[in-house]
Amino acid sequence: MIKLLRIDDRLVHGQVALTWTPAVGAECLVVANDKVAKDDFLKMTMNLAKPANAKLLIKSIADTITFLSDERSKPMKILVLVNSVQDAAALAHALPQVRSINFGGIRAREGARPISKAITLTDADITLIRDLLAKGIELEVRQVPTDEPRSIETLL
Amino acid sequence: MLTSYILITLIAMFGHSEDFLGTTLLSRPLVLGPLVGLVLGDFEQGIVIGATLELIFMGNIKVGAAIPPDVITGGVLGTAFAIMSGKGPAVALALAVPISILAEMVVSGLFVFRPVWNKRFDRYAEDGDYRKVERLHILSGLLKPLLMGVVTLLALLLGSDAVKSFVDTIPPWVHSGLQVAGNMLPALGFALLMNLMFNKDGAPYFFLGFILTSYLKLPMIAIGGLGVITALIVTGITHKEQPAGGDSDFDDFDMDDSPPVMVKPKSTLLTQSDIRSLFVRSMALEANFNFETWQNTGFAFTMIPVLKRLYKTRESMSRALKRHLQFFNTAPHGSTLIIGIAAAMEEQNAREDNFDEESINAVKTGLMGPLAGVFDSLFWGTIKVIAAGIGTSLALQGSALGPLLFLLIFNVPHLILRYKLTFIGYDTGTRFLQDLSKTNVMDKLKAGSAILGLMVVGAMPATLMAVRTPVMIGSSDSAVALQGVLDQIVPHVIPLALTFLVFYFVKRNVKTAYLLMGLLMLGFLGSVLNVFA
Repeated sequence: MIKLLRIDDRLVHGQVALTWTPAVGAECLVVANDKVAKDDFLKMTMNLAKPANAKLLIKSIADTITFLSDERSKPMKILVLVNSVQDAAALAHALPQVRSINFGGIRAREGARPISKAITLTDADITLIRDLLAKGIELEVRQVPTDEPRSIETLL
Repeated sequence: MLTSYILITLIAMFGHSEDFLGTTLLSRPLVLGPLVGLVLGDFEQGIVIGATLELIFMGNIKVGAAIPPDVITGGVLGTAFAIMSGKGPAVALALAVPISILAEMVVSGLFVFRPVWNKRFDRYAEDGDYRKVERLHILSGLLKPLLMGVVTLLALLLGSDAVKSFVDTIPPWVHSGLQVAGNMLPALGFALLMNLMFNKDGAPYFFLGFILTSYLKLPMIAIGGLGVITALIVTGITHKEQPAGGDSDFDDFDMDDSPPVMVKPKSTLLTQSDIRSLFVRSMALEANFNFETWQNTGFAFTMIPVLKRLYKTRESMSRALKRHLQFFNTAPHGSTLIIGIAAAMEEQNAREDNFDEESINAVKTGLMGPLAGVFDSLFWGTIKVIAAGIGTSLALQGSALGPLLFLLIFNVPHLILRYKLTFIGYDTGTRFLQDLSKTNVMDKLKAGSAILGLMVVGAMPATLMAVRTPVMIGSSDSAVALQGVLDQIVPHVIPLALTFLVFYFVKRNVKTAYLLMGLLMLGFLGSVLNVFA
């Protein structure tokens, strides 16, 4: 089952390896990203960063959906990482078991405005977010597990 | 008095200059507390208070952009007020906790404000004016010590008398309640650390650490030593790989073992001292930390000696500055690996006409997250824990060795690694990482440091938490002290139980602030009802 679906544009890094993985007790980290899945160098660096007790899988969005739909992935405690709202929305629409999404970090970009310390959103992101909220998916902004979770609706 | 206020303010400003000093833990309460004690003429009390505060704030670590309570301002003011009013650690902590939470808001405000300069940085980069980039990076960095210095001085000038007369009105029973409550608070720090590392695989090592200290009374330094030995044995780091295990037979970071794949051109454009200055400048990586582009100006600032050497025209310098002013964030302790790699790529770019400049940022952004994962875990998850465990255990007895060992245990490995990584990055580029990824050195390192960290954390409830029970069992004639019975079965079981109780709530995502309040209440009520002492 998916213990956490997190949007974090640095994918696997300190906050994920050091705090989230133990906090949710994840046995398996899935990096769902089309670009990384094709890039051996990025795959290599992420393998170095993975926490000691967890398995790391790097898959395209389509493969991630296949993997998470498979019955065999159900007993595993999985932490899914994506780097954009778009990818998170793609997973959430394809996978009914996604009930909540954690917004960890999305850096400043052209056309995006900050809604919290570590999150910036474009108009396109906000449209996607409204869709997700309409589906009843819980969207929380929280960098590390010990932070206070904040609902994204209150920040828009 | 004014002289002491000014000196204390300077201590707080020194603490807040840490972002220029490479995250070397100089700003921790265990270091600043003794300095405040020295100014106020009670060095030993400063050490003890510093250690007490260190224990409570131990679980608050800085990972990524998650900003913990401002222990610098809180710690300095709490220690100063407590010593000035002639009170001990209990009062220091009662003051330090709320002050640090308030001060954190000011610091966060600064990190929100700083992106205002970003347009200016971009303009300087456009002009290729690296001097102005350097200057603004430093000026913006100085804002934090200046701002917090003003806050500290004002608090001292306006607050000292009020705090003193308030503290004097505290009746003894409240004071002893505070003391018990304060003794309980380290459980929160331990639980937050356990939350980072405790799992069923690691549990035996945690209890090993506990038993070694609670029954065998071993000091924390011995636990550190045994932890290293246990980690070496369990992970087999000292054994050579079996030939059947594959092609990896190098067990350390010495790259001379493997045949060179990428030979560096003999005539390098950069000198050894250029690379050394990358290391030195990396200490100021976080000086202009902000919530929009994070460490970007720090990265540019660090790269400038190299860029100056390589790019003589305005356009080439401008392009390079713009490149390095893009979003960046990584663990400062290992940042020099990326910086060294970037320097090697810049050199190649300066030499070759058709070099893909974009690839420099691609490598930087590809590496910053994963390497932050590696170095945050190593430094915050393990080395800091050991340094704090040993440092506080000595400092609680008033020994100046406490803060000293705390700094040495953390910074000797930190600075050696940080220095070496600059050259490894520059000399071997990404090949170092590629070679490393073919071996299981990283896995062993991670497993080993988890074992070591857990043993030290396991030893903490038994050595660093003084909560006892004065309860007597039975009628007044044949009454037996409960603590005596407990000591015969499991010594220090109360601190252990409290730590697990807090850990249970941490696991259930209860807010840290509530846990803090809960522990304070429990200690207070326990003291009033004579259950805890």
